[in-house]
Amino acid sequence: MNLVEKILARASGRAKVSPGEVVVANVDTLLLHDLSGYLTSKVFEEEVGLPMRYPERVVMVFDHHFSPPTEERARILEANRAFARRHGAHLFDCGSGNIHHVGVRNGFVRPGTVVVGSDSHTPVHGTLGCFATGLGNNSHAGMVMPFGKAWFRVPETIRIELSGRLRPGTTPRDVALYLTGEIGEGGAVYKALAFTGELIDGLEVWDRWLFPLITIDVGAKCAFVEPDEKTVAFVRSMTGEPFEAVGSDSADECEAIWEHDVSELEPQVAASPTLGNVGPVSAFAGRAIQWAELGGHGGGRIEDLRMAADVLRGRHLAAGVKFNVVPSSREVFTEACREGLVEDLHLAGCTWFPPSTGSNQAINMGALADTEAMVSTHARNFPGRNGSAKAMMYLGSAATVAASALRGQISDPREFLS
Amino acid sequence: MQARGRCWVFGDNIPTDQIVRSDRALVSLGEMAAHVLENLNPDFPGGVRPGDILVAGRHFGQSSGRAIAPKALQATGIGAIVVEYAARLFYRNCFEIGLPLLECPGITDGVEEGDVLAVDMTAGTVVDETIGRRFSARPVDPFLMEMLEAGGVIPMAARLAGEGEA
Ligand code: SF4
Repeated sequence: MNLVEKILARASGRAKVSPGEVVVANVDTLLLHDLSGYLTSKVFEEEVGLPMRYPERVVMVFDHHFSPPTEERARILEANRAFARRHGAHLFDCGSGNIHHVGVRNGFVRPGTVVVGSDSHTPVHGTLGCFATGLGNNSHAGMVMPFGKAWFRVPETIRIELSGRLRPGTTPRDVALYLTGEIGEGGAVYKALAFTGELIDGLEVWDRWLFPLITIDVGAKCAFVEPDEKTVAFVRSMTGEPFEAVGSDSADECEAIWEHDVSELEPQVAASPTLGNVGPVSAFAGRAIQWAELGGHGGGRIEDLRMAADVLRGRHLAAGVKFNVVPSSREVFTEACREGLVEDLHLAGCTWFPPSTGSNQAINMGALADTEAMVSTHARNFPGRNGSAKAMMYLGSAATVAASALRGQISDPREFLS
Repeated sequence: MQARGRCWVFGDNIPTDQIVRSDRALVSLGEMAAHVLENLNPDFPGGVRPGDILVAGRHFGQSSGRAIAPKALQATGIGAIVVEYAARLFYRNCFEIGLPLLECPGITDGVEEGDVLAVDMTAGTVVDETIGRRFSARPVDPFLMEMLEAGGVIPMAARLAGEGEA
């Protein structure tokens, strides 16, 4: 069996499972954010009405709100807090950071476990060798909360083997954006994706993270990276909780292998309306932007802040450009303070925001008028997600975001790297 | 399990954000239904009648996994959704809330807005009665058919969890 099959077999008490089978498995962690948490809690209390069986496995993070902008929102957050208290679930309040980063940093994501969530980017946790996938409110409210279980169809697995060395200025995020276009939106519907190869092996955990992040955009169910010493050391640095990592028995336990050599790859940009609308930065260069952001759950990692600071240090944003910097967790902000990045980016003209999910869905910040455009490290660029459906959202690496902010137009970061 | 009604036709790769705007995520289902899909067809929310059939292209319902998108569509009273293929979470959510959905390759080639469609979930067929053409759908897993007949995942959850009838 491969990693996903092994985890699902163990969690459902079977000796063996195969693709296509439906299993009912134990769930180790349920991650909810302020919006999905509210919707799920209503279904759970109004339509299910049973006690929460394992509240210690339920984690709610207020990541879209770092502070409620309206009375209505304040009421929703209060309802969520009361819900978490009533049932004894974990709560990370406003200002904690992005749901997935907070989950990882607090030890709720461990190799070999089953992690579910309402957020469609929940598969990102496969980076740590989990079976992780997004489920809907009714699964969470109807099965996970009252019984600690969920139903899953065991997916077929596709191995994505990445070889070659990245050129200077091309980053792991560029590879991930490129792969979204190559595989195509809906190009891997229902599959499990195994990210492997020398490129993945050589990356640190937070850079590997950018690959399972695209799971949802290509329509897949989950993704994973085989856990190695780096994974184990990383998780050990986050938590003392025990875990038992599992790996695939052999590399051929998959339906297909898709190989990509990344050595020639240029920095990439994905423009609205969808993630699949991706191409080399040169294809979009010169398009005006007024907003830049390191945030959303794709960004705000310390790696992103460092990369942007390398481009921006000692320079200043173009006139008319606003640049939001949103750390993905409090820990990242601490590191940014210690490394002097807070000052560097501030002096370059950027504005710091509290740890959160940033302007994803424009709940606390980041709405755009129809004539505006943003370049960001977000995970999404659908029309209407950040204000006007006519506004443009360009996605790129932190280096591309920073370079574009210096010019006020989509720009190739390689021009600014010494 | 059957549905029959006029159809509304939408395109490819429609994200849930276009079905229900994310800034409306916390309003009532009725209010969501009053604006559902309006960005793509302003006549839809006002014109859709109970029993109508929604037809769309590839990777319908991508993006968010929140079940509000299918719930808002369900709140309009539509009888079924027929798509080339659906995003995984959208697919799962439809069965979990008891909203019939069929994946029917080729459907957007033949069918035109306003045609009368007869959808048979059990047989896995869609007939366009206006042009007299029949399409066959990808088979639905028996487990999901059972869920649909039960009215969604909540009514069968206890049994699935191995704890007897709910
Ligand atoms: S930023 Fe968006 S994609 Fe990321 S966790 Fe929050 S809702 Fe999900």
